[in-house]
Amino acid sequence: MRPVTEINIQLTVNGETERVAADTTQTLLHVLREDLGLTGTKDGCASGDCGACVVLLDGQAVNSCMVLAPQADGSQVTTIEGLAGNGDLHPLQRAFSETWAFQCGFCTPGMLVSCHALLESNTNPSREEILTAIAGNFCRCTGYQGVVKAVMQAAAELRAASSTPGTGHD
Amino acid sequence: MTESNVVGRWTSAPGADEIVTGRARYCPDIYFPDMLTGKLLYSPHARARIKKLDVSRARKMSGVFAVITHADIPGENSYLYANPDQPLLAVDEVRYQGDAVAAVAAKDGSTADAALQAIEVEYEVLPGIFDPLEAMQIDAEQVLKGEDNVIMQQTYQTGDVEAALASADVIVENSYRTQWAEHAFLETESAVGRIDGDGLITVYSSCQAPHRDRMQIARALAVPESMVRVITPYIGGAFGGKDEAHVQMHAALLAHATKRPVNLIRGRKESILTHVKRHPVIVDCVTAATSDGQLLAVKARVIADAGPYTNATHEVVNKLGEFIGGPYTVQNLEVQKIAVRTNNPITGAFRGFGAPQAAFVYESQMDDLARKIGMDPLEIRLRNGVETGTRMYTGVVVREGTAMKASLEKAAEIINWKKRERCERQPDRHLRRGFGMATILKGCGLGRDLGDHASVILEMHRDGSVILRSAAADMGQGIVTVLAQLAAERLGVEMSAIRVIRADTSLSPDAGASCASRQTMVSGNAVLKAADSIRDTLLTLAAGKTKIAKERLSLVGGKLHVDGEAHGLSVRDLAERASAWGYPLHAESLSHFDYPVDVPDVTYRYSQEVFQFCTQIAQVLVDCETGQVTVERLIAVHDVGNMINPGGVYGQIEGGCAQGIGYALTEELIVKNGHTQNTSLENYVIPLALDIPEMEIEVLQIPEPFGAPLGAKGVAEAPIIPTAPAIRNAILDAIDKPLYELPMTAERILNA
Repeated sequence: MRPVTEINIQLTVNGETERVAADTTQTLLHVLREDLGLTGTKDGCASGDCGACVVLLDGQAVNSCMVLAPQADGSQVTTIEGLAGNGDLHPLQRAFSETWAFQCGFCTPGMLVSCHALLESNTNPSREEILTAIAGNFCRCTGYQGVVKAVMQAAAELRAASSTPGTGHD
Repeated sequence: MTESNVVGRWTSAPGADEIVTGRARYCPDIYFPDMLTGKLLYSPHARARIKKLDVSRARKMSGVFAVITHADIPGENSYLYANPDQPLLAVDEVRYQGDAVAAVAAKDGSTADAALQAIEVEYEVLPGIFDPLEAMQIDAEQVLKGEDNVIMQQTYQTGDVEAALASADVIVENSYRTQWAEHAFLETESAVGRIDGDGLITVYSSCQAPHRDRMQIARALAVPESMVRVITPYIGGAFGGKDEAHVQMHAALLAHATKRPVNLIRGRKESILTHVKRHPVIVDCVTAATSDGQLLAVKARVIADAGPYTNATHEVVNKLGEFIGGPYTVQNLEVQKIAVRTNNPITGAFRGFGAPQAAFVYESQMDDLARKIGMDPLEIRLRNGVETGTRMYTGVVVREGTAMKASLEKAAEIINWKKRERCERQPDRHLRRGFGMATILKGCGLGRDLGDHASVILEMHRDGSVILRSAAADMGQGIVTVLAQLAAERLGVEMSAIRVIRADTSLSPDAGASCASRQTMVSGNAVLKAADSIRDTLLTLAAGKTKIAKERLSLVGGKLHVDGEAHGLSVRDLAERASAWGYPLHAESLSHFDYPVDVPDVTYRYSQEVFQFCTQIAQVLVDCETGQVTVERLIAVHDVGNMINPGGVYGQIEGGCAQGIGYALTEELIVKNGHTQNTSLENYVIPLALDIPEMEIEVLQIPEPFGAPLGAKGVAEAPIIPTAPAIRNAILDAIDKPLYELPMTAERILNA
């Protein structure tokens, strides 16, 4: 057996500071699931193909199976468990549920995080922009139509919430 | 439906909040403090004799708790879907790349991996049999010693095919080939085994058939079924690929050997190499017609490559043959069904269960025929389509068949079929645009004489809340939602009042497998029956209390209604009364799938008798320089009977179309001499978001009058079936070249 080297890393996961003694060859996905018990993030292929393990790493959507734990040292990580604030579902989460943007739900954690990253930078995405944002998220159940609908719905809700009443926004 | 309160309305799935917050637990998320990691050692060869298998070194390793081989299995060393010919752990020979030879449980994944490496296996590689045509020869070596390579050879015939062929004006004769297709469910096969204090073996299983799993686990461990409990947590997709068991028995065997919980999760590569695939088939088909497009006869020979073991081959190939004449009135039909063992991947259930292969053949034949006689593809289909009352070539009478032609007409209307020539056929020098259609039928239910039944248990508590116990596995298709809606509708309560206990064999009676588009109907009927019994008790109590005749009372939206108007009493009041007076609001019911009794002597074996009809039309753009096909539009018109759960229905149709696009254009397991070449999701190419057009979906709601709860039918399988032939016919329309092999890759298009 190869020798295992552990290093101590520190991460901020969903706003909480976490210190983990991580095997240097382990992935961020492994740290989240095995060390921190955050099993919302899924392992669909362990090779960066399917997107089930997408998390936000310093605001960027990444496949956490392709990030080695030491690379994430000092980073801010947001997982599916961190999307709902104060126990209220994020509009995107509600929209996913209402539009049947998932069936089995296994791709949903990564899909939601990718869509969340999109809405952070673009609150009025086109169909094409949504499809591009989720181009790396495999879904075998839905054919992606519900996802597009959900993102559109959530985007509209977020725009409505951010516009000040009475200012005659377009 | 006068009282529709929840049925037919958009509603979130029970458990949706768990999914969108990441709290939903799938097998790989189940954790126990003393849990071990299980792994299997698979054969690197397609066929080899095991000369030596020595696990002693692995067993001595620190952190390794068990290493088991076939010799350590207390009970039967076999899977059992229909035929127990596939070993759980290989004995003296491996017959495909997915045969496992040993199982390990260790403290963690890397220790388990190290233990697998420490197992010494000496193989003598044997020449395998990889060509089904070769395997069929009388003198071919046996893939499974003592067993004929031909595991199925049956012919069904009706009418006088030879006479019809002799009298035909036109004959179209072609040979088709289809590929191994991979389910690519996002959650790979997984299970967690655990032994409780009293010896009960609990297995968390990512599966479609919890009670069949229980039977197989009990057989492997040589314990009574009552000592095995199978629980399905959330399941990350299945599409038929988890109908047959995978690692459930191994997880139980390792838990039994170590007396500790053991999880066993296949990696993606293992998953692709090991589980059943859609059968690749060679179909030779002759279709005969008159010069004005009347179908006279269909004659087909199907040869399916089963891989080394039987699995669901009989059932799948039987269904393929059952639908080989399509949704048409053809009366002279002969189909020869042959399935052969090889050392290629194992095969079994995959959404559509043989019907997608059949549809690729019969709908391609229809377009070739239409071209030969100069008839419009829509017209030839309308001319020959079945209707209500048609006695099909299977001997089965179509009891409700309005949707066959209605779906064709609706789809044609949406795309403006008759005026399609007005669109730009050659938008650029190298680009060609084309339109193609396919229309299909697929039955719901297992089929006649196959023990098609399901039970449920329903309880209403004193506060009006309800527990529904059903062992119908929900793999994402939404059966839990459908059953909750039916219960809520019949009991007159809100969806939120219903809590569905997901499949657990210790809590719920057998509902059979979630397969064959059957659970909405068979478990749905069981729920209605149970709910009716509770509702009757509530209404009896209400009649006693209000002194109003029971016939005038109903339950809607949590309230008692009199002549359709809300009354002061709530369902909760009535439930409290029932509890106080000692009337248990508890019902268990069993529902049998309804098959008619009067069938002719010549009837197709195990025929289905309630049909899903649908038509899809594809508009494609073919790049003649690269062979690239873009599906620009996909129209899908589906009959589902009355729609119970719109989110699920649209989701099934959209998802099925997406899988159909993959099956048509890109998905193919490349197998050379029994060795699968593409073992990742990078090179087994399923459609991604950007590959899918905006789908135009129309749901026809023609109430199914037979054996359908509130008129609803199953919808799961139909959507994948017409997509590939619709795209094939669109490519034919675009470039004037017929294709007879799936998938229709760029290379095949350029070589056509």
